[in-house]
Amino acid sequence: MEQEIRACLDQKRYREAFELLLPEYQNKVFRLAYGMLGDAGQAEDTSQEVFIRIWKALEGYRGQSSLATWIYAITRNACLTSLKKGASRKEVSMEEPGVGSAVERLEAPPATDQRTGVDVSALVGQLPEKHRQVLRLYYMEEKSYLEVSRLLDMPMGTVKVYLHRGRKELAEALARSKMEKGTA
Amino acid sequence: MACAEFESQLLEYGELARDVRVRVDAHVAGCTGCREFLEALQAVDAALESQFAGRHVSTEFEQAVRRRVQSEPAARRLSFVPEILDFVGWAAIVALIGLALYWVTNLVPASGGSEKTTFSFVAAWAAAFVFLLVSFLVGLRSFADLKH
Repeated sequence: MEQEIRACLDQKRYREAFELLLPEYQNKVFRLAYGMLGDAGQAEDTSQEVFIRIWKALEGYRGQSSLATWIYAITRNACLTSLKKGASRKEVSMEEPGVGSAVERLEAPPATDQRTGVDVSALVGQLPEKHRQVLRLYYMEEKSYLEVSRLLDMPMGTVKVYLHRGRKELAEALARSKMEKGTA
Repeated sequence: MACAEFESQLLEYGELARDVRVRVDAHVAGCTGCREFLEALQAVDAALESQFAGRHVSTEFEQAVRRRVQSEPAARRLSFVPEILDFVGWAAIVALIGLALYWVTNLVPASGGSEKTTFSFVAAWAAAFVFLLVSFLVGLRSFADLKH
């Protein structure tokens, strides 16, 4: 697919290139944004912004890096901008028409441990930001260290370290919750 | 809670080679701490997998992007500013080298060379000016690159 898109770009057929690129990368961009932002509604809004940026910058793409690398870099930058604006975004009212229902459709139910009833996603919220990002992406990307490393532009060793630390902390927190429930 | 020597292997339990796994299983069977840690890890994996696996954009996403792209102007024509700055910068470097060579060749003492000495000072000042100009243009080029 990348070959086809590059061929279109070489021939200055930008709209056609964009039409190929959008379905190919929309889920990757969304998952990267969701991994970084931790909110599906915000991730989808940011993903739209990413594709608008891609459309505007498509003519400037010089093929020095792979298309995927270029797109992921744009996504990471857009997410960082979105994180900076995070506080003001939270002020968007859920009462606005369509907002609540759209977010409900995207948000997954909380990750609850079936045996203990402990909300694991709430425990994830207590981890450092980098650990959270790596954890979310790891489970979204079918447990591929390589894919997480490519998406976050992070060495694979660092991905593994963050992931192990995150999972270890979660497992220990879960075991503690289990014990507390048992003694209560 | 897990034994330190087995902790990393428990964290990579699903990826362990068969012989290592047999050894880890034998330990886990007799160690409550490691067994509880492994169970908790598996519960974490199951919970997070059910929450995050297979996430994708909403069905309206593609259409929403297309609508927005339709209303946006066509892909912006690439600016030639960086290329122009490159050209001017390289031209200035060539001029600088030329001036420097001229200045060096004219430093050779010559009889009654006061006129030549004056000229070489002019050349030195010109070289310094060109050097500053090049530095400025290189900075501007970097700025233009960042903007794009």
